[in-house]
Amino acid sequence: MQAVCRGDQSAYQALVREHLKSISHYAYRLLGNQKDTEDITQEVFLKLWVNAEKWQPQKAKLSTWLHRIAHNLCVDYLRKHGNTQIRDDLDNDNNDSQQSSATTAGQQDFEDGSEARAQEQRFRRALAQLPESQRSALMLCHYSGFSNKEAAAIMNVSVKALESAMARAKRTLRKIVNEDNSEEQTDQSAWQESLS
Amino acid sequence: MTEDEFSKLLDLHGSVPDSWPSTQQEPARRLLELSAEARDLQQLHQRLETRLDRLQVPAFEGLEARVLNQALPPRSPGFVDRLLAWLVPAEGIGPQLWRPAVAACLPLVFGVVLGNYFSFGIVPDSSDVDFWEDELAMVALVDVSDSEF
Repeated sequence: MQAVCRGDQSAYQALVREHLKSISHYAYRLLGNQKDTEDITQEVFLKLWVNAEKWQPQKAKLSTWLHRIAHNLCVDYLRKHGNTQIRDDLDNDNNDSQQSSATTAGQQDFEDGSEARAQEQRFRRALAQLPESQRSALMLCHYSGFSNKEAAAIMNVSVKALESAMARAKRTLRKIVNEDNSEEQTDQSAWQESLS
Repeated sequence: MTEDEFSKLLDLHGSVPDSWPSTQQEPARRLLELSAEARDLQQLHQRLETRLDRLQVPAFEGLEARVLNQALPPRSPGFVDRLLAWLVPAEGIGPQLWRPAVAACLPLVFGVVLGNYFSFGIVPDSSDVDFWEDELAMVALVDVSDSEF
């Protein structure tokens, strides 16, 4: 990082290679669409280059600092555009999955596959409809592997607020999983009855 | 540990016992042995985590090249960095040794100038005229005890 401060581009490239995947995945999970994820990832690393000397290693790890930049950019984006773009992408996914499922050979496979896809769509939609703070909390702790304290620092909230957001997010998603599970059990028992 | 506390533990730290805080692992394990509801709740969390893990992220082909090839603005180092670079050049200090030497002498010069211009409250206790007469008498080695004033 000191080399980046001195303007060393090869050091900058090494940092990009090291952190690109985690930053782009985090942005995608918050925004839900590829084009804006790429734009924001690019901007995160541009900010890293321009503001390198502002990073204070005694206060935060580099990955925490970069995620904070990414988080702020994503939140700004979501406040400007709302979740419209995410819904657009979900609708596209839905159409694609319907088209691909129509080509499935066996009728049983088709039904199983379409059911699983429908469940996944419902889950994705529920995730996309979570408030931004709940989604961020879940993404940072579940996917990015940050501790609750680090995630709170990235989101610039207290640890209590983060934990509350995460508990709410999980409660909402748990309901979806529970409903899907009870549907599956009902289907299985109906199938067993029809066999007997 | 109550079931509510266990539910909160799962919300905050996930369903994997190793990721729970060490102080809560033992009571949570005991509750799991005793309560079927707690086991159901843990299974539900495991299913939720599996569903989360199943969500795919696209590969982002070409993003690395795009980020690496973007035009970076020239860095403008701060005043302190520029001063340090001037005092201790990266290419070697040999021929530029006068720079740190001048920098080291600056406080000394500053002190001399300051001392020359300000007396800091030290005032001679005689007037200038008396002072000069005494000086002249001393220089002339004259016995002034009998002098008439």
